[in-house]
Amino acid sequence: MMSRYAIFLGCTTPTRVPQYELSTRWICKRLGIELIDIEDFVCCGSNQINISMEAGLLLSAMNLAYAEARDLDIVALCAACAGVLTEAAEELKTQAVRDRINKQLSTIGLEYNGKTQVKHVSRVIYEDIGLDKIRKEAKRDLSRLQVAPHYGCHYLKPGCMSEGFDEPDNPKTLHELISATGASSIEYETLDLCCGGKTFPNSQDLAHSLIARKLDNLEGKEVDCMVLQCQTCYLMYAAQQKKVSEKFGKQYNMPVLLYPQLLGLAIGADPVADLGLNLNTPSVDKLLAKIGNDL
Amino acid sequence: MLDEPIRVSKLDPNFKLEVIAHEAARDITACFSCGTCTAGCPIHEAYPEYDPRKMARMVNLGMRERVLSSPYIWYCATCHNCEQRCPQNVKFFSVLNVLKNMAAKEGYAPPSWVNQTKQVMKTGIVFATEEAWVKKREELSLRPLKGDGKEAAKLIQLTDVDKIEPRAQS
Repeated sequence: MMSRYAIFLGCTTPTRVPQYELSTRWICKRLGIELIDIEDFVCCGSNQINISMEAGLLLSAMNLAYAEARDLDIVALCAACAGVLTEAAEELKTQAVRDRINKQLSTIGLEYNGKTQVKHVSRVIYEDIGLDKIRKEAKRDLSRLQVAPHYGCHYLKPGCMSEGFDEPDNPKTLHELISATGASSIEYETLDLCCGGKTFPNSQDLAHSLIARKLDNLEGKEVDCMVLQCQTCYLMYAAQQKKVSEKFGKQYNMPVLLYPQLLGLAIGADPVADLGLNLNTPSVDKLLAKIGNDL
Repeated sequence: MLDEPIRVSKLDPNFKLEVIAHEAARDITACFSCGTCTAGCPIHEAYPEYDPRKMARMVNLGMRERVLSSPYIWYCATCHNCEQRCPQNVKFFSVLNVLKNMAAKEGYAPPSWVNQTKQVMKTGIVFATEEAWVKKREELSLRPLKGDGKEAAKLIQLTDVDKIEPRAQS
């Protein structure tokens, strides 16, 4: 049976990293996952919890209720959205919490009964499509590509995110997803280092130092690109890369792909029209030339 | 963070009670200061002054003003390593959120988070509607965003968080 999900875009992907959305929609259509748009969705609440956990929970509950009303589970592209919505769904399993929140949701005519499940898009690809199907569908030869995976903190943590799926301190699913495309994934010391995205609005210096620590670790290794699965991680390692280079007097030139872009390349997508790879900075030209493609 | 002796007369014995009154921070009194949180903290590595173990100790000792006025409580990267690895199951990430919520009410919130919440009340997301990305979405044949935060604003107003003013920028 075809999987169906409400697609949760979040704030940053649709406005800052549309190639993540484009490639995700293409992959899902091509590999049999139906995505339903709910245009009433709002911010997941993950930054609101900093100043009011209650406001954050209300926003999460609002989104969970919209999906539930349409009898849909949620697939989130952003790891932080997936994390905070999953945590909220866990918290709202307690009747007393649900009663309290529903009293407030009723002011905008909503009710949440605890049914919505939330998954990150890579988990949906891993569980609903599966590694075997990816291996079978992979027609473009990516075997020359050496990839550094970056999981993103909220893909695995808090524990309820990865329970029965992956291990936060020894993760493997993204390595497997990369290997299934035919590319090789490398191991490296700072694999679990946070991108610093949530520190960026308060201290760019702090975020930049975290970004540099990982890029320094990858420098000098035989790596063609990083592959990650969250647009905030993308903005840190890709969009901030030039600034970090200048700040620390480095010459980083590390292409960064979102996982659906790598998967799309493997199964024969058009790099520009289907995956928006022309929007990635730094340029992915060299990487595409290596697998026999031009932009 | 500490440059003078801790004066017992200045400690607030009710502070930790105030903190653990929040369900999310209930376990903080179980902290035995082993430092697993600090050892795995990527922010501590960059800014040694940011120290989860020290913050937990300060809460349990009752150093209310020092904790809530500290700029460091806002630097968490939300990586969740601290709570993932805590042998006492202290949810330090949640404890920190409780502390930040208390600090916000006392006027210490940074402009970033306050402004994002105000933005969500306008457009439903943390960004304003800008011509550049609206056009880019059109070019890529991606659906337009609704850009409406009215319903979200009604909920946010119920919590009074919209009345929080950010701290003056230094």
